[in-house]
Amino acid sequence: MSQPLLEVMDLSRRFGGLLALDRVNFAVQPGEIFGLIGPNGAGKTTLFNLISGVTPPSSGAVLWRGGAITGQAPHRLNRLGLARTFQNLRLFEGLSVLDNLLVALQRRPRSSVIGGVLNSANHQHAERQRLDTAWQLLEELGLSALAERQAGTLAYGDRRRLEMARALATRPELLLLDEPAAGLNPAEKDQLCELIGALRQRHQLTVMIIEHHVPLLMRLCDRLAVLDFGVRIALGTPAEVRRDPQVIEAYLGTGGSAS
Amino acid sequence: MIEALLQLLLNGAASGGVYALVALGYTLVFSVLGVINFAQGALFSVGGYLTFLLMGGKIGVNGALPGWGLPSGLPFWLALLLAAAGSGLIGLLVEQVAFAPLRRRNAEPLLALITSLGAGVVLVNLLQLLMGAEGYAFPQSTDALAGLPDVLVIGGARIRTIQLLLLLISAAAVLVLSLWLERSKGGRALRAVAEDATTAQLLGIPSAAMVRLAFFLSGALAGLGGGLIGVSVSLPGPYFGISYGLKGLAVLVLGGLGSVPGAIAGGLLMGLAEALVPSAASGWRDALAFAILFAVLLLRPSGLLGRRTVEKV
Repeated sequence: MSQPLLEVMDLSRRFGGLLALDRVNFAVQPGEIFGLIGPNGAGKTTLFNLISGVTPPSSGAVLWRGGAITGQAPHRLNRLGLARTFQNLRLFEGLSVLDNLLVALQRRPRSSVIGGVLNSANHQHAERQRLDTAWQLLEELGLSALAERQAGTLAYGDRRRLEMARALATRPELLLLDEPAAGLNPAEKDQLCELIGALRQRHQLTVMIIEHHVPLLMRLCDRLAVLDFGVRIALGTPAEVRRDPQVIEAYLGTGGSAS
Repeated sequence: MIEALLQLLLNGAASGGVYALVALGYTLVFSVLGVINFAQGALFSVGGYLTFLLMGGKIGVNGALPGWGLPSGLPFWLALLLAAAGSGLIGLLVEQVAFAPLRRRNAEPLLALITSLGAGVVLVNLLQLLMGAEGYAFPQSTDALAGLPDVLVIGGARIRTIQLLLLLISAAAVLVLSLWLERSKGGRALRAVAEDATTAQLLGIPSAAMVRLAFFLSGALAGLGGGLIGVSVSLPGPYFGISYGLKGLAVLVLGGLGSVPGAIAGGLLMGLAEALVPSAASGWRDALAFAILFAVLLLRPSGLLGRRTVEKV
């Protein structure tokens, strides 16, 4: 195996008396789609928060290409190449769709404050480049017609795609998707599945995805980890996980089978 | 008659412009952190005294260094600009002392009301130690204002130049700030942080630096206001900024918390209403200002241009 892109080692997080995550271990390989499943309250979103730097872990380590990044500020992690979306969308609702992307494109390409004040040629060039990239992403996710709309006024499915576009705008290597299919109808779920696959190809992404919809994950993911009450109870390919007796008991219900 | 009315309106618009500056200062910090910086009035005082010293004013007999002053005064424009920048830096210091430690400890945001009030009191007391409690008039009269005459005659009406300048400078500051917020890369980042600091940070924006920028700009606006009022009226004592700070707060609520156009509209409304109070009843000026505030809030609880609900995630 090559060097993992992301490694999680003995990661724990305690909230008061509750052990939300208990010494979780796994590694994500470059280019794979890695799924995270588990019942409500299993600690999936907490795990995303620890990886993306929103919450510091109580103990354990997160490694990026073998180097420790545990407890670093979110904007630094983003510069390394890590981006995420939220289960309950967090768009800048007062900003236009285009501005939501431009905020995320802020740092690329670099242009100085002085350049901005003087409106230098370099600065103008950078601003044009940002606009081009923004429009390209809008095109790719089918949002161009909505560019001038205020983000808060979009329909639900459009918001979901805007949040993905915004995360992509920071040009991540690893994209964390927190329940991207929540609230979508079956047809939209299928489209999303294809979209994620296509985006991985085009942007050379590694994807981590939290999802409740098991069939979607089984189809989409190369490998899966299963969490239950903060403990990683299984890890492997969809077929392996499906057969795991502990998973069947904890997650799918005793005697049941993965649909 | 026309002349008097014109002068009245100009006075109103001019002080309204200054109120708008102060209210915009509050707005910047409020939209980013969701709290009011109560040191804003003290920063207004700081701006006034800094402008005074930079223009070559000497410290009075009750000050810490009686008779001390810069060997030669700077021109009005430069002094005003530097004083605003200086007040901005002191605003940054207030952030470091009164806000940042609380944020690091995830303290209740309301506590910052008290710490910033404390920081404001300390600033005003330091001013008093340094400058004494006496009033100051600016070193030269308004003819120092880049050689402009004291009084302009427009359409037969005689207008005090300084009032016109006050209006123009605050209008320019407000305009530049609004354009910057609306159009520029930095302004976009600040608006993003104002909406959701965590998400902005996840998208690579250093939220802490943007918060500091907001405090700097906010302090600079207050300092600019202090300098302008100092030159046009005088510096009646270190506490003079506090009443402008309170008026700015009223304007902020009047216009709608967190709304930039609201702060501007509220400032102008307040200034004009005050100017229309006859001078015989000038003692009622502040009472009128707050009566307007009550009336507007009864009819529109979210202010003139405020959003119906202020939602914070």
